[in-house]
Amino acid sequence: MSNTLRLYLACIRNTLDAALCLQNFPCQEVERHNKPEVELKTSPELLLNPILICRNEAEKCLIETSINSLRISLKVKQADELENILTKKFLRFLSMRAEAFQVLRRKPVQGYDISFLITNYHCEEMQKHKLIDFIVQFMEDIDKEISELKMSVNTRGRLVATEFLKQFV
Amino acid sequence: MACFERASPSLKKILLQLYRADKPIEIDHHLHEFGSVEYHVQSSLSDPQHAYLSISTPLLSQGDLLSYGLSHYSMEMVKAISLDVVEIVQPAKEGYQLTLRLNLSKIPCGKDSMKVISEISMVQATILSSQLKEMLWTVNSEDTFQGMCKPIKLVYHPREPFYVIKQPLKIAAVFPMRFKEHSDVIIATAFLQELTDVGSSKKWAKVPPCCWAPIPPPELRGEPFEDLSTNGGFVTFDIYPRHIEGKRLDKTVWSLLNFYAYVKYHVKCTKGFIQRRMRKRLESLVETLQGPNLGEDEQTEKVQGNARCSCVGKSVRLPKFKMLKRKYGDFTRKIKKLRFRIKIHGFRRFRQRWLTIPKFSSSMGYTKLD
Repeated sequence: MSNTLRLYLACIRNTLDAALCLQNFPCQEVERHNKPEVELKTSPELLLNPILICRNEAEKCLIETSINSLRISLKVKQADELENILTKKFLRFLSMRAEAFQVLRRKPVQGYDISFLITNYHCEEMQKHKLIDFIVQFMEDIDKEISELKMSVNTRGRLVATEFLKQFV
Repeated sequence: MACFERASPSLKKILLQLYRADKPIEIDHHLHEFGSVEYHVQSSLSDPQHAYLSISTPLLSQGDLLSYGLSHYSMEMVKAISLDVVEIVQPAKEGYQLTLRLNLSKIPCGKDSMKVISEISMVQATILSSQLKEMLWTVNSEDTFQGMCKPIKLVYHPREPFYVIKQPLKIAAVFPMRFKEHSDVIIATAFLQELTDVGSSKKWAKVPPCCWAPIPPPELRGEPFEDLSTNGGFVTFDIYPRHIEGKRLDKTVWSLLNFYAYVKYHVKCTKGFIQRRMRKRLESLVETLQGPNLGEDEQTEKVQGNARCSCVGKSVRLPKFKMLKRKYGDFTRKIKKLRFRIKIHGFRRFRQRWLTIPKFSSSMGYTKLD
C-alpha cells in the first residue's frame, strides 16, 4: 500500500471513529417518526460539520454526521475512460444490491461515486470498530477490483487480438 | 451476412435429412438467416434423386460490377464446391439470385458425404467471399482518383459499410466503427488499440499491418458524411500481395468480412465477463460484512463453530473445566431466554418450583453468605 493511501485511510478511520457516536433521536417535525437526520437536514442543531478528506483532486471522502446517522460518500479515482466505465458499472451494480450491504445507499450523493448511510440502529446491531473496518476495507477492495478488472479487460483484448491475427497466418 | 461459421447449420441439417432419408421425402423449406439471407430447399417425390436449393443474399456492392446478378467468378466458385453434385440452374428461381440443382445420388458415401454437404451449406459464404476476392484482384482503372483508385464501398450490413481502396503497392480495407452504447465504444477502443499494438510487433510481421485512428483516413475524403460519422474511430488493414497469394486469399477475405462481427462479439463477451466478475466480488464483499452483524450470543456460537476464527484457537487451548463452565453458561442463558419469552398465567409458581436450575458451587469458589 502506498504511503499516501495509508495516510488517507488512516485519516478516514480516525474521523469515522470520532463521528460514529450515534444515538436514537425521534423526528422533531413529525411525531412517532424516526428518520436519519443527515438525510433530511431540517434541523441544523442536529447536524455536525461535514468533513471532506481529499487524497488528491480525483479521490475524496465526504463524511456528514448528525445525531442519529452518518453518511459517507466516496469518490473513486478514475485514471482513464476504461476505469471510468468500469467504476460506474461496478458501483452501480453494488448500489442496486444495497439491501445485501444494509449500510449502502441506493443512490450516491451528487458528485460522488458511492455513499453509505449508517444509522444508530446499525450501530446497535453491529460492532462499531467492525463497521469502520468494513468501510476502510471496502475502499481498498474497490480500488483493487477496478485495477484488476482493467487489467483483465486489456489482457482479454490482447488474447482476442492475437487469435484474430492468427487467421491471417 | 457472413458469420463465424461458414456453413449454415439449419441448411446443413435439412440437406443431411434429405441425404439420409430411407424413403424419398417431399420437402419445401424456406429458411431465413440474419434477417437478409433466404434459402429455399425443395425436393419432390417425382424426382427423389435431385433437390433444388435457391439462395437470396444481399451482395457486398451494388455497383456496375454486379448489375447483371452474380459475376462469372462467383458462379465458377459455386460450381467448384462439388462439380458432380452441384449444377447451376439458369435462370434462377424468381426472387432468388441463384438456384442450384443438387444430385443427391452423386454425393459420396461415408465421411466425404459430410464434407460435401458442409461445403454446399457454405454457399452463401462462398458467394460473398468470391465477391471480395474479385475486388481485391480487379479494380476498374477508370476509377483512378488522384493517383489512387476510388474507394469501393462494400455494404456488408446496412449500417456497417466498409471501404476497399486500391493503392500502388497495397490494398487498404478501412472499417468505420460504430457502436450503440458509450461503454461499447470504450471497450472496443481498448481492444482495437491492443490489436494495433500486437499487429505492429515483430512476431506478427507476416500479418497485414493494422492501425486505428479516431479520424477518417485521407483516402476517404469525398465520401458521404453519414458514412464517415462514427464513434469508434477507423481501423485500416493494409493488404499486401503476399496476403492474397494462394490459400491465404481465402483466410484474408474471410477475416475481413467477419471483422465487425468479431469486434462486436468480443465487446459482448467482455461485458459478460465484467458482470460475472462483479457478481463474484459482490459475494465476497457481502461475506465480509457478515462479521460486524454478529451479536454477542451468536458470536459465542460462531467462536465455537467456526474453525477459521482466531478465538477458536484460544478456546481449544482452555482447560476442560473452563470449557464446561462456558457451555453451562450458554445453556443457562438459553433457558432464561426461553423462560422469559412466553408468559403463561399461573405458570410462575410451577416454574419457581420445578424449573429452578441448581447452582453448582465449587469448594474453591466464593460462596455468598446469607
